[in-house]
Amino acid sequence: MLQDAAGAVSARSVSKVDEAAVIRAVQRGDQDAFEQLVRAYDQSVLRLAMNLLRSPEDARDVYQEAFLRVYRNIHSFRFDCSFHTWLYRIVTNICLDHLRKRKVRREESAVVETADGPVDRMDSFEQEGAQADPERRLWNRQLGTRIDVALRDLTPRERMVFELRHYQGLRLRAIGEMLGTSEEAAKNCLFRATQKMRVVLGDLV
Amino acid sequence: MTCDAVTKAIPLYHYGELPPEVEDAVEEHVDVCGECRQELERQRALAAALDRRIVAPPPDLLAECRHELARAIYREETPAVRRTASDPWGLFREAFHSLWHPGIRFRQPAGAVALIALGFFAARFVGFWPGIGANLMGVSPDTVVSSIRSVQPDSSGRVQIALDETRRRVVSGRLEDQNIQRLLLVAAREQDNPGVRVESVNLLKDHSSSAETRSVLLDRLMHDPNPGVRLKALEGLKSFAGDPEVRSAIAQVLLKDQNSGVRIQAIDLLIKHEDRSTVGVLQTLIGREDNNYVRMRCKNALQQMNASVGTF
Repeated sequence: MLQDAAGAVSARSVSKVDEAAVIRAVQRGDQDAFEQLVRAYDQSVLRLAMNLLRSPEDARDVYQEAFLRVYRNIHSFRFDCSFHTWLYRIVTNICLDHLRKRKVRREESAVVETADGPVDRMDSFEQEGAQADPERRLWNRQLGTRIDVALRDLTPRERMVFELRHYQGLRLRAIGEMLGTSEEAAKNCLFRATQKMRVVLGDLV
Repeated sequence: MTCDAVTKAIPLYHYGELPPEVEDAVEEHVDVCGECRQELERQRALAAALDRRIVAPPPDLLAECRHELARAIYREETPAVRRTASDPWGLFREAFHSLWHPGIRFRQPAGAVALIALGFFAARFVGFWPGIGANLMGVSPDTVVSSIRSVQPDSSGRVQIALDETRRRVVSGRLEDQNIQRLLLVAAREQDNPGVRVESVNLLKDHSSSAETRSVLLDRLMHDPNPGVRLKALEGLKSFAGDPEVRSAIAQVLLKDQNSGVRIQAIDLLIKHEDRSTVGVLQTLIGREDNNYVRMRCKNALQQMNASVGTF
């Protein structure tokens, strides 16, 4: 079965054989097939963009741009890698652009934009411990803050590799292929990311 | 393995990214080395802490993204489709294509919720902004000012502005709900987006048989520039095919609609009920119709009514 990025099997997914047929149909201009293809992957794309960029608006931009690029360029897809890899190459490039711009533009805010208005990321971190004692809540808050500092200190590439490995559950070999680099380079990136985070969070975990 | 090598290998060990033989060596070392075991525990604690800071997309975001993608693709597609539809069959294909276009189909599973989510509702806003300065405090951030009605400065240096604002809202409900149907009736006339119109008409035809729905379907059949919408309206009027006003509208469509796909469906609907009052229309049509199927159906219908095929 076609797997979404987190490794979960999409309810609307199709088999690999079917997927090739679907892609060929899209290349012939079949709009239903395009819809099928989008729906097989779009939840995982949105999840990745949202967790990485922490902003529904940015996640929406990534979604739109990624699938429009797929729509415009699907004719050039030659089956020399999996569609998943091809799509994620597009998605990760767009996300990296966002991260790089953000790095230049401003320090990432601790506030996440949501449909219900701005929400402090630390508050969601605390939810689980809402009933816990004040000391525990304070600790949770400190940990949440430090985690965000740690993630913010990663380079866009380290952040991306870490996101894809830790949160999206992709193998480093696949990540390397998506990012146009080797498995070894992805390994080094993950190692550096983990080390940086442990330095920042060392005394809290 | 040395402690230093194990410490370096622990992150990759945690993610299962080490070769099997190195993995075994790490496990053997950790079993006997308390310090490295602690290091591994710290790695696991870090991972567990990181797991708790996942930010999931808001519930409606996926539906909104799908809808916006459909709109974007529709905008990209529309000019090309129009350019190719130069002959009657091209027009028919265009009409048919419209029915299956992602701008329309793409949103179907999201149903009315996704449809209405993109609806815009204009609301007249005429008011005074009290307090510190006229800084648009009364206007919400997602408001678009569509037009300014009046501007009146006063002697104190303030200004009063009356404006129309457009505000995005998301509403949801069952298709049988009267408020939802009322919005669908508005959406069926949405000027800029044929995708919204065709889907609204499609939903209305299946879930409402009110006089207002009938009237909107008639209006769309007669006046909508998009053949996909006209076809859906025609389909929705099937249950009213015995109604004289509907039959008259269908007759006009047969004589005027440029899209042969629409005329094909219209002739099938019109001659379903034998009705001698349509003889004149059918006779006129047979003389000017360039679609073989429509001509043949006209001819058969006239023959069944023992009417002359030609006019004299």
